[in-house]
Amino acid sequence: MVEGNAVHIDGIAFAHSTRRDAQIMRSRIGMTQGALQMSRPMLVKPAYSPLPGTYDETFEAELIPRAACEPIVASLLSASPERINELRARADRMFLTMGVTFNVYGDNAGAERIFPFDLVPRVIDANTWKDLEAGLAQRVRALNAFVADIYGEGKILRDEVVPRDLVCGSSQYRRAAIGIKPPNGVFVTVAGIDLVRDHEGRFMVLEDNVRTPSGVSYVLENRQVMTRLMPDLVRKCGVRSVENYPSDLLASLHEIAPPTVARPTAALLTPGPYNSAFFEHVFLSQQMGIELVEGQDLVCVDHKLFMKTVSGLQQVHVLYRRIDDDFLDPLVFRSDSLLGVAGITDAMRAGTVTVANGIGTGVADDKAVFAYTPAMIRYYLAEEPLLPIVETHLLRDADVRKRVIHDLDQFVIKPTGASGGYGVLIGPKATYRELAQMRDAIEKDPAAFIAQPMVQLSAHPTFVGQGSNVALVPRHVDLRPFVLLGSKARVLPGGLTRVALREGSLIVNSSQGGGSKDTWVVDA
Amino acid sequence: MLRRIANHLFWAARNLERAEWRARLVNVNYHLLVESPPQNPQAWAPLLAITGEREVFEERYTSADETSVLTFYTFDDENPSSIRSCIRAARESARALRHRISSELWLELNTLYLDSLSWSPATLEASGIYAFFTELGGRFYRIAGITSDTLTRDPGYDFFMIGKMLERTESVARLLDVKYHFLLPHVEDLGGSVDLLQWAALLRSASALEAYRRVYGNAIEVERVVEMLLFDESFPRSARFAMNRLGASLQRIAALSANGTHQLSEARALASAKLANLLSSSCVTDVIGGGLHEYLLQIEDECTNIGEVLSADYLRFE
Repeated sequence: MVEGNAVHIDGIAFAHSTRRDAQIMRSRIGMTQGALQMSRPMLVKPAYSPLPGTYDETFEAELIPRAACEPIVASLLSASPERINELRARADRMFLTMGVTFNVYGDNAGAERIFPFDLVPRVIDANTWKDLEAGLAQRVRALNAFVADIYGEGKILRDEVVPRDLVCGSSQYRRAAIGIKPPNGVFVTVAGIDLVRDHEGRFMVLEDNVRTPSGVSYVLENRQVMTRLMPDLVRKCGVRSVENYPSDLLASLHEIAPPTVARPTAALLTPGPYNSAFFEHVFLSQQMGIELVEGQDLVCVDHKLFMKTVSGLQQVHVLYRRIDDDFLDPLVFRSDSLLGVAGITDAMRAGTVTVANGIGTGVADDKAVFAYTPAMIRYYLAEEPLLPIVETHLLRDADVRKRVIHDLDQFVIKPTGASGGYGVLIGPKATYRELAQMRDAIEKDPAAFIAQPMVQLSAHPTFVGQGSNVALVPRHVDLRPFVLLGSKARVLPGGLTRVALREGSLIVNSSQGGGSKDTWVVDA
Repeated sequence: MLRRIANHLFWAARNLERAEWRARLVNVNYHLLVESPPQNPQAWAPLLAITGEREVFEERYTSADETSVLTFYTFDDENPSSIRSCIRAARESARALRHRISSELWLELNTLYLDSLSWSPATLEASGIYAFFTELGGRFYRIAGITSDTLTRDPGYDFFMIGKMLERTESVARLLDVKYHFLLPHVEDLGGSVDLLQWAALLRSASALEAYRRVYGNAIEVERVVEMLLFDESFPRSARFAMNRLGASLQRIAALSANGTHQLSEARALASAKLANLLSSSCVTDVIGGGLHEYLLQIEDECTNIGEVLSADYLRFE
């Protein structure tokens, strides 16, 4: 109780203080840096130093929180180490008992891990969010128009806005998608757009995910844990709810169902319990109240898709698939795939079923195509891009290649086809040997790589260490907002904030040892 | 209701029930041995014959001593019917069913499975055989309680109950057979004090001793025990109770199919009618007079038959 009071009183003190007051308070308290410390029983302040030269998500300057973050700094970041440890332990227990886990490929069957969760929420104020939301919706509309165009008329290729060989030579280009016309022209139903902030705090797009983006279940579960752990703080900050995502997703799926069906049946296709995102598949199907199906549950008859139920075959009109193109239809793609269903491409072409996301959408998140996304926005929407992208160089151009190879240690090099942070070279941190190997690889297959300048990712106060060693330190973060496209675009307020838990690391992927944070869009 | 899901529910229930009754079977045999002459080298052999697993056992074990048989039944991973194998199979089904079952049920089953990974002859010895199986029985009850309180009453529940009740009917038959056919070869012992102790142990292993006393009083008679375990309509572990429960679920599923595109199977109707008939038209005097063992075998055969027909009708994919 005493501890709770201390936090509360401190909260009021902070909430009513001005920036100048905070600075005065700092000199009065005589802050020490390093481990989280209690200076006085009544005034507990965080010992935290933002990273120099980096945009800090929570603090404007040392001990001066950004306006929207004041309540968090006043209560959570000023709580005692005991309280922090207790909250962290409770959070971990909740994730474990809720079964919020991901599977790790290559591990034993059933090896499930918790995605590490950090208590300190990432805050985005309403104004910033409004701009982001508009930029994200614009971007996904353009990406969708691009996919519909290249598998339809191909205008953008004819007009040479995007090089034809770049598109048709992409590992994600699918000839089988040509001529498929989904209702409302929607190919990209679910998009996850990875954003980063540079040293000035400018949001920019790092990459698009328009095949089967994952992570949204963590957004919803993180929020559930936060509201249980700190209900007062969530309420005080005026956090926008993320609760509607499953019903928005279901609405979007219904909006792209074949228009002749009055009450469409939707199902979610999973590769099965050993897939790394199986928990998310379970979670989403449960939340939407639709069947979770595997390939063996489905069959195509007369260009229609059916589920095998105990009372016979039941037609499926919309399939939210969480398996890759390659495994979707053994008649068209990999013939050895047992995960998909033979004939589904024909059924899509016949218009009896819509598959979300459509076949071949991956061409729009190809890392080389990425360089042309601002041009797409201008071409299809006749609008200026609202969100900048991280500058991207295609190494297939000999002059560009020469320049990049010369200064390789200043670039981030990414393979065009891969995802999950695999195969990325971070020039400034690479060894001489790694740089030499990458030079050879680029010379061998220049089209397989892109180069981006090193972005100084923003950082966020994050708890690391255990027990008495718990400390509040800056760690790099990114943001993956989720955009749904049906008859209109819907943007989930916030998104998944991933945090690189290792000191200095810029890689936030779950498969690479990253963690996550709750993301708050606050109206206050 | 997807066929795959129905299949998982059916087998999750069967495997849980099988694991639970395996534990009972082992425990009752152990009890009987405690109260019979010591150092009987053949003491555990009957159990292997009853469960039809003697050949599987003899492939890898040299003698039917206590440790070998307990290992075989409890945590032998190569025996698909060992308690641990059944728990593992049920847990794998539950994993595929996670979106349809409560998180509480998943957690309980998952914990039991994780604990079972550390079972060994040493853990059995350390906790004592009686305590080990009593504790295990309690955990199965907990799973049953969570299931009953959290599983939605849709066709999936019916498939779950069919699996459970089919397995239960078979298991009751096997349990009675251990005692009746094998463990009392000497007719002169019938009704003697050892015999009565054994019947009491058997009732206790089916959690039926108290219920028996309430209905029939103190005296334990063979006929009454058989009547209770096979024919008592109100006792939840009797074969007839299980059959009635199974019949109700089968009917609901058949009604579900009738207005769909699915053809009702005559074979299935016939199979369940045969078993129901077998259990409802018999009385204990006839059964014992005509040979209890033969009667029990008939029950087991009909159970196998229902399982096969049901699987062909509803649960297979292709």
